[in-house]
Amino acid sequence: MDSQTRAWLRPCTWTWLVMVCLTLVTWLLGVSGAQGLWVALLVLGFALLKGQLVGDWFMGLHGVSGFWRWVVSLWLLLVGSLVSIAFVISSGVLN
Amino acid sequence: MQYKSQAVAKLYFIAAIGLFVGQILFGVILGLQYVIGDFLFPEIPFNVARMVHTNLLIVWLLFGFMGAAYYLVPEEAERELVSPGLAVLMFWVFLIAGALTILGYLLVPYSGLAQMTGNDLLPTMGREFLEQPTITKIGIVVVALAFLYNIGMTILSGRKTVVNLVLLIGLVGLAVFFLFSFYNPDNLVKDKYYWWWVVHLWVEGVWELILGSILAFVLIKTTGVDREVIEKWLYVIIAMTLITGIIGTGHHYYWIGTPDYWQWWGSVFSAMEPIPFFMMTVFAFNMVNRRRRNHPNKAAVLWALGTAVMAFLGAGVWGFLHTLAPVNYYTHGTQITAAHGHMAFYGAYVMIVLTMISYAMPMLRGRKAASSNRSQVLEMWSFWLMTVSMVFITLFLTGAGILQTYLQRYSDTPLPFMVVQEKIELFYWMREVAGVVFLIGLLVYIASFFVGTKEPEVVLEQTDA
Amino acid sequence: MSDKLVAAQVRHYPPGDLAVWILIMAELLVFALFFAAYGFTRMGHVALFNQYQATLDRTAAVANTLALITASYFVVRAVAAIREGNSRHSARWLWAGVGMGVLFLFIKGGEYAEHLSHGINLSTNTFYMFYLSLTFFHFMHVIVGVIVLVILAVKVGQGRYSAAEHADVESGASYWHMVDLVWLILFPLVYVMH
Repeated sequence: MDSQTRAWLRPCTWTWLVMVCLTLVTWLLGVSGAQGLWVALLVLGFALLKGQLVGDWFMGLHGVSGFWRWVVSLWLLLVGSLVSIAFVISSGVLN
Repeated sequence: MQYKSQAVAKLYFIAAIGLFVGQILFGVILGLQYVIGDFLFPEIPFNVARMVHTNLLIVWLLFGFMGAAYYLVPEEAERELVSPGLAVLMFWVFLIAGALTILGYLLVPYSGLAQMTGNDLLPTMGREFLEQPTITKIGIVVVALAFLYNIGMTILSGRKTVVNLVLLIGLVGLAVFFLFSFYNPDNLVKDKYYWWWVVHLWVEGVWELILGSILAFVLIKTTGVDREVIEKWLYVIIAMTLITGIIGTGHHYYWIGTPDYWQWWGSVFSAMEPIPFFMMTVFAFNMVNRRRRNHPNKAAVLWALGTAVMAFLGAGVWGFLHTLAPVNYYTHGTQITAAHGHMAFYGAYVMIVLTMISYAMPMLRGRKAASSNRSQVLEMWSFWLMTVSMVFITLFLTGAGILQTYLQRYSDTPLPFMVVQEKIELFYWMREVAGVVFLIGLLVYIASFFVGTKEPEVVLEQTDA
Repeated sequence: MSDKLVAAQVRHYPPGDLAVWILIMAELLVFALFFAAYGFTRMGHVALFNQYQATLDRTAAVANTLALITASYFVVRAVAAIREGNSRHSARWLWAGVGMGVLFLFIKGGEYAEHLSHGINLSTNTFYMFYLSLTFFHFMHVIVGVIVLVILAVKVGQGRYSAAEHADVESGASYWHMVDLVWLILFPLVYVMH
């Protein structure tokens, strides 16, 4: 493996590690019985972060410029906003 | 024309155009019956005119698809048709069976026709679009099998291209789903459930594959863009078509007694159905912009681009308008449906057949690549006349549909159906005027085959672009 | 070498075929719609959703998340190997990815079997309707993704790709990452958030 490939792989390996950790934390939050809107939003935040990592490093969008650079981020933004709006409203904190 | 057997396509194309004229004549009669209810009564009652209008559409489109296949397949497979004789024989079988069926509709009361043709033995009649007597349906299956044998063997023993394979999958699917027209359960819910397997899975499933492959073929021929590029687009488009179209069947299952989840499945997947049509538009314009040469048949390129745009508008946008369950709750079966039906059928299927005819006919009539300038100008006039009048038909029907939905279903004091029909009369009149313009456009189209036949054809301009 | 690196850094198009990326975008849109539909429908049935969400097997879901993440990482390694022209390593990583994908299908299949044995189906209630629809639609994508990876693994193994020519591998990899990406949102949304 040449140094260029090594440099290209390193962030991917980190991505994998970080995602495994975030997944385990999410699981712990799930089984711990932690409740409430903030826990839900935190879990969603982890998921969005993971999604961004996958887009940037696994899909390689980090090295792309223009529209395609942001296609995954925009999708995450869209999904993230819609889901959070739905959860915030249904939690009743706005009342 | 590279292969002699491609010539059988000409018969099919001529029959298609002839039946097209019949369809439009009945369309104009039908449009008038919306406002003058007893026009031509009792000779041609509304229900018969409607049946003839829709059945002729389907039959002439099938003629068009078969003609397109007979022209396209040998060229792609790089060999003659397995049996041109069979193709000609099936042409006459299909034409005579079709003509007899239409005459049956017009001359015999429908119940009498059912009795005459032994509908009791295997009842399949009496359902919208599938009104054909059972023997006609059996005839269609025989013709389809012979056709598939001819096309299939040619494709399998020749060069296999993506265009040919996608076309073959589409045509096989067309035949297979037609078999559900023989399934006629007593349970009304089941009846409708499987009825859509013919109707929906045809026009929003396998027909789109046929559309995609014909469009790809014409674009390969007229733009000179690499086959690989075009094939890749075709793959993605058909993948998206099948993902959205198959489960999208659910948008017909909202209020007919099927489980609730269809409201979600139908809404979500059918809301995505415009995507493949949008991709088709992007694809067509992209390919034409990247063209390696200017093709002398400008009319064919215009039809191809027109198909991509109008299919997206008619099938995509107008379909989306009323596909979501909460919207469809109010619009179901109103003139909104008629608006969508008109522009979708015209934009997707009428126009793709006309695209193919426009591309192939000059060669079938012994020219090198294109008709004379005068003929092409007239053909392009007919393109605009028909397309613009169809846009207006659609807009007027949409107006009628919105008003109808409001007055009959949404307002605080809903009015009865016939009262509403009178209130939207103005829209029907305007639609009728647009319909007459469409008929004129069609006549201009036919005229374009007869002018400038002695003049030299348009010559290829060389470009470096 | 450094020229190549610079060229790689100012790419305007993502790795793989553009057509695949258009497909990916369309697929992501379908899932986004489904996720939003889940969220907004839940607003009217919060208690019901919370009650039945608790019946799901979270441990299985976490195992599946780890399987997909790891499969994606293996696929990244496969792309890295083929970029160096190392077909043997690339094929090996692809098969490892296939293994993880199959593991996912196996675990998820077990969950479905469990639901079926309790007589749960799409008409049981709104939560199950969404849960089953969403996960099954994704399940089918995993099946497609695994098939794609198998085809690539075979072709890479036959040495059909090189350091210079491996766009198919990148396309397949991008599709697989999309399948992973969707699950990353699906998992917390359906199994955890309440």
